Amino acid sequence: MSATEFDVGLHVLDHQLLDKDGRRCGNVDDLAIEGGPGEVPEVVALLVGPGYWGPRAGWIGRLAGWIGGGAKVRVEWAEVEKIDSAIHLKRDATTLGLGRGDDRLRPYVEKIPGAGR
Amino acid sequence: MNKIFGLALGILAAIGGFVDIGDLVFNTAAGATFGYQLMWVIPVGVVGIIVFSEMCGRVAAVSGKAVFDAVRERVGFKAALGALVSSEVVNLMTLAAELGGVAISLQLLSGLEYRWLILLAVVGFAVIIWVTSFDWLERGFGYGGLCMLVFAVAAVKLGPDWTKVGKGFIPHIAHNNPTLYAYFVVGLLGAAMTPYEVYFYSSGGVEEQWSPKDIGLNRANAIVGYALGGTLSLALMIVGATVFLGHGISPEHLGTIALGAGDPLGKIGLLLALVGILFAVGGASIDTVFSGAYNLAQFCGWEWGRYRHPKGAPRFALTWLVLLVLAMGIVMTGVDAVVLTEYAVIFSVVALPLTYVPILLVANDKAYMGRYGNGRVANVLGLVYLVLIMVIALTAIPLMVLTNAGQN
Repeated sequence: MSATEFDVGLHVLDHQLLDKDGRRCGNVDDLAIEGGPGEVPEVVALLVGPGYWGPRAGWIGRLAGWIGGGAKVRVEWAEVEKIDSAIHLKRDATTLGLGRGDDRLRPYVEKIPGAGR
Repeated sequence: MNKIFGLALGILAAIGGFVDIGDLVFNTAAGATFGYQLMWVIPVGVVGIIVFSEMCGRVAAVSGKAVFDAVRERVGFKAALGALVSSEVVNLMTLAAELGGVAISLQLLSGLEYRWLILLAVVGFAVIIWVTSFDWLERGFGYGGLCMLVFAVAAVKLGPDWTKVGKGFIPHIAHNNPTLYAYFVVGLLGAAMTPYEVYFYSSGGVEEQWSPKDIGLNRANAIVGYALGGTLSLALMIVGATVFLGHGISPEHLGTIALGAGDPLGKIGLLLALVGILFAVGGASIDTVFSGAYNLAQFCGWEWGRYRHPKGAPRFALTWLVLLVLAMGIVMTGVDAVVLTEYAVIFSVVALPLTYVPILLVANDKAYMGRYGNGRVANVLGLVYLVLIMVIALTAIPLMVLTNAGQN
């Protein structure tokens, strides 16, 4: 894929986010686009989290988003390092507020013997 | 040596995935009802699952994407959510059916009480999955499942009329009850091309950290593994036809199916059949429980995979634990595992296009796949099976209603 030209709808939206350590930390659930009529529209941020599902799939999306906890995280476009089959970010997930569900659950899971095997 | 070990992925997917409770039920019942007349459906299903899995494995090797990554990217959020919900429902039904099968095999082997054995099986699986690496899960159940080969020995020993068997490979329609016959065609294809096998296969490729250099291994896995599975399906149908047809027996219990091997081979045959069934449905339980967790994690973008360890992928670990408990709840209600299997297979046929179409699209996307995109053979077969899958998806429910789920 060319580094300068790609289809935002096909190759960014709904794609996997990877932090700088290669950790999977969410999918691109929506895009924040700025620019009014007559201006060049620009993607300014990736919107991540079940809180953004509602507008994309009506009541079933809202229901799924509510079950998923409704979290909303905005990742500025400037945080994107590169785009291939996934979206690679410049910093780690925790700093960007991503992957919090896993971070919250980890202390409990770690207490079970064999969790690191 | 590594390549030989790598082939175990195909063997597990074949025995634990291809021959699961769905195949045991549908192949034996098809033999018991229509003799050898449905033999031709098995190679059709085998080639279908090879085509589908090979594409998924190739996509996983080249792009690191498993099935539900591709589904979300390609069909849009709303349709992907629909695909997720339906596949999770079907998956849970299948898992419950496989767990029921594990408990029945354990009961026949030990004579202990069914409900306690369900609990034992679930706790056992939770512990085994928690402490065992992906490689060893795969090898352990894959090799244990090879006991199922006793059905192939039984099929030969029973001395079927091979001319009649051969004629069964020529596609035709039965005159005596064409609706029931069509229901079995759909069921056999559904049992052969169960979607969870593909979820597991593609995510397994990511677990094993396949790269483009593993594309040959992927192809060998898919072809050898599923061909082996298909041979066992043929054997099950021959056993069903030879032992049960004409005696008015329909194998409505897993124990009856095992008796099919016990009939020509005695106690040892019966024992091997039960152990083989135990490992096959046990392996399939692991495939399905992982598939459910893979799909949810991929849809949500969570960290996933046994290779990340529970500590590295806590939500993934919690998901498979919850799925095991939910499935246990379903089996504990006392629902018949064989009946549950039939419904799970038929509903999985309906959900099949939802995952097949996106994979076909991604496997053709030169942007990711580069020179590893679908060639002409993969695309011609891919399109032929697309049509077939659409037809069976649309006819599955009407046929189930018309035949009262194969009862008449």
